[in-house]
Amino acid sequence: MLATVHAATLLGVRGHPVRVEVHVDNGLPAFNVVGLPDASCKEARDRVRAALVSSGLAWPSRRITVNLAPTGVPKAGAVLDLPMAVGLLVACGEVEPESIDGVAFLGELGLDGSLRPIPGALPLVDAVEVGVVVVAPDNAVEARLVTPTVVHTVPDLRSLVLALRGEEPWPEAGSPAPEAVAFEEPDLVDVRGQRMARFAVEVAAAGAHHLLLIGPPGAGKSMLARRLPGLLPDLTGDQALEVSRIRSAAGEALPTGGLFRRPPWRSPHHGASAAALVGGGSAAMRPGEISLAHGGVLFLDELGEFAPKVLDALRQPLEDGTVQISRVAGSADYPARVLLVAAMNPCPCGGSGAPGGCRCPEHVRLKYLRRVSGPLLDRFDLRIDVDRPEPVELLDGSDGEPSSAVAERVAAARERARSRGVTANVELDASALATAAPLSHEATRLLEATLHAGRLSARGLHRVRTVALTIADLTGREGPVGPDLIDTALGLRIDPFRPAGHGIH
Amino acid sequence: MASTDGVVAAEADLPQAAWLTALLGLPAMGPRRLGALLDNRSPAEAWTAVRSGRPLPEVAEVVGGRVGALTAEWAKAAGDIDPVVVWATNRAAGVDVVALGDAGYPRCLLTDPEPAPVLFALGRLDAVAVPSRVAIVGTRRCTRYGRDVATELGGALAEAGVAVVSGLALGIDGAAHAGALSAGGAPPIGVVATGLDIVYPTANRRLWNRVAEAGVLFSEAPLGTGPRAWRFPSRNRIIAGLADVVVVVESHASGGSLYTVEAALDRDRPVLAVPGPIHSPASRGTNHLLAEGCVPLCGIDDVLTALGLVGSAPLPNDRRTYPDGSDLGVLDAAGWSPTTLDALARRVDLGPVDLASSVARLVRMGWFDEERGFYQRVR
Repeated sequence: MLATVHAATLLGVRGHPVRVEVHVDNGLPAFNVVGLPDASCKEARDRVRAALVSSGLAWPSRRITVNLAPTGVPKAGAVLDLPMAVGLLVACGEVEPESIDGVAFLGELGLDGSLRPIPGALPLVDAVEVGVVVVAPDNAVEARLVTPTVVHTVPDLRSLVLALRGEEPWPEAGSPAPEAVAFEEPDLVDVRGQRMARFAVEVAAAGAHHLLLIGPPGAGKSMLARRLPGLLPDLTGDQALEVSRIRSAAGEALPTGGLFRRPPWRSPHHGASAAALVGGGSAAMRPGEISLAHGGVLFLDELGEFAPKVLDALRQPLEDGTVQISRVAGSADYPARVLLVAAMNPCPCGGSGAPGGCRCPEHVRLKYLRRVSGPLLDRFDLRIDVDRPEPVELLDGSDGEPSSAVAERVAAARERARSRGVTANVELDASALATAAPLSHEATRLLEATLHAGRLSARGLHRVRTVALTIADLTGREGPVGPDLIDTALGLRIDPFRPAGHGIH
Repeated sequence: MASTDGVVAAEADLPQAAWLTALLGLPAMGPRRLGALLDNRSPAEAWTAVRSGRPLPEVAEVVGGRVGALTAEWAKAAGDIDPVVVWATNRAAGVDVVALGDAGYPRCLLTDPEPAPVLFALGRLDAVAVPSRVAIVGTRRCTRYGRDVATELGGALAEAGVAVVSGLALGIDGAAHAGALSAGGAPPIGVVATGLDIVYPTANRRLWNRVAEAGVLFSEAPLGTGPRAWRFPSRNRIIAGLADVVVVVESHASGGSLYTVEAALDRDRPVLAVPGPIHSPASRGTNHLLAEGCVPLCGIDDVLTALGLVGSAPLPNDRRTYPDGSDLGVLDAAGWSPTTLDALARRVDLGPVDLASSVARLVRMGWFDEERGFYQRVR
């Protein structure tokens, strides 16, 4: 007596189809689960048994073997509770095998037989190999995002059995989800003064350039950074689905009305571990903060306080836009294309960082800054000093430019980037950049001089040209990139490592 | 005990300075303790007394309670030191050792209230013999303004035949000597707090060698002495003693240069302070000195007047192109304190691109100096 039930399991941010095979035979009563189940998956035995009994169904005192195929893929979580129970019912003849043809089951069982929602419903439903899926009512909205799969919801095991036997119809899906309520993102109107810092934020949004804000405590670095997502355009359909899939896999509830349509904002604390940041912390290989921020902004406040090893783990994902986690149990890929924004103090004493302006001896200041490695610093195309706003600006009551106005310019700049075949200028490679943004004669000479002075690496040169192009896009300039744009790009790229007092001997 | 080579064969041939060098090599030995030891003995006798481990009542007066432990420690150390070898090492390193009273000892220090019993010197001892010497001191954490003033003053004084005395520290000290060296003229005098074979700070190694070549480097510490916190203020009294006038270019509210000022006032040396922006922490100490009645230094003439010399230095020839249009507005708005693009954007009515390119132009023309995103005006 054998039954096979369609289901899926989550690995990283992707679902993988799973077939739950249940075999019931004579022999000593036993219930074994094989096929790489993790601890919570093995515990399904007890939940399934209790759920069946509570629902008034018979528990077979026979030898039960459950195999989770393919056996090579690790299975994690309680999502396979329901398919195991259905398999048992079919194998014991409680339900006809034909009734589960082409139907997949996903859900966790309570001891009372009720069906509970599971994290990652979106990628899981996406992964099943058949056209009909049964999930818990609370997973309905997420599951229905996957078209054209038919989604049935049942509150408990008993109503499922009745529906499968055809004795009762499938329960009503319930009212459709309410329309999405627009989430209020913080507005740039609240930022007074700081025109250069605001401009840097605008350039970062337009070109997707990583941004480093350096300034004393109270300068408003976090405030500026928090307003960056509000300047980014809405996620496209595919992006929204991908972002929602990742966040669903991480167990986050999707917004009312369906997909995440706005770029995410993640701001992990500086005590975060490397696994928390890049992912792969548990058997299910949970996505890290950098993947949860995919398509949006990853903000690292107090960059100098992060463990240097943790920061360096970010370098490869930042370069490739994906994270590859390999563990003994298997490996997983996560998308990780983020706009990285970081803030740090110029020195440990919290002074302004101006030459002669703080109490820290030079070597103390450098030691503090060197916690951020050179290669990571090199990933920041925009680095700017942020000053504390002056009291006059705080009190005179005039508002800054609102985010909506800035977002319009950003959208226009992104539109120009799209005409070059990329979503943002940062993705342009060397040849595309040369076509999109030829340098004027003076600009070439200026860059040559900067290179000769040793202020710029080859990578830096490419980045400066890209930033200059983004500024041109923002200001609506056409034609070759002029020296003033190169100067501005260089001015927005300060080198905090340069020790004081050099160049006099 | 055998000597390492044939230059000095026996202890009997050693000069006074050799015994003093050996005594200074003892642990926790400073000028005051050495003075007490030499109260009624010759250096050679003092060495024998220390080595014997007998009680030293004169030292007890200076040291106090723990004299027993100290004499025991000295006796143990003295057993391991061979004055003949120590002397040979100094000779081999090209170090002159002059004791108080020797012919080569700087004359201006003879009348000092706390003269160094021994000075180690690298370079030309006669560099001190120039008619006038000015100490230029200040903070290690200086601004571009302070560095410029120190370099300029150092250069102008050296050119006027005035020797620049300084401590070879980072910041103002180094800048003053760099200026003096590039101008030529009077030989530079450096007073350091480490042994003459230990360059500190290492970033100033080139400057250190150039001062020893063109002028003289003094230290009160025997060879092999690393940087010790107490030696720096102690060194500052020698700087004050060697100088006829002390100039403080930039000083934070507290700092080593204020020790030099104190030492200079004890020795009746005039002190001049360079005024700075009231917002600059690096000028807080100097501005405070001015408030207390210190003479302000507003130009090289003020130093020359304080020295009793008449003179005037011509303004250096400025070859920079004068900025025009919006660049001039940006230059004016910048003031003389370090400022960021963000701060400048508040003060001038220019868009981000116009402002950044104007600032970059001013850097290229030599009106601004950029450091870690901070722009400072260059005089």
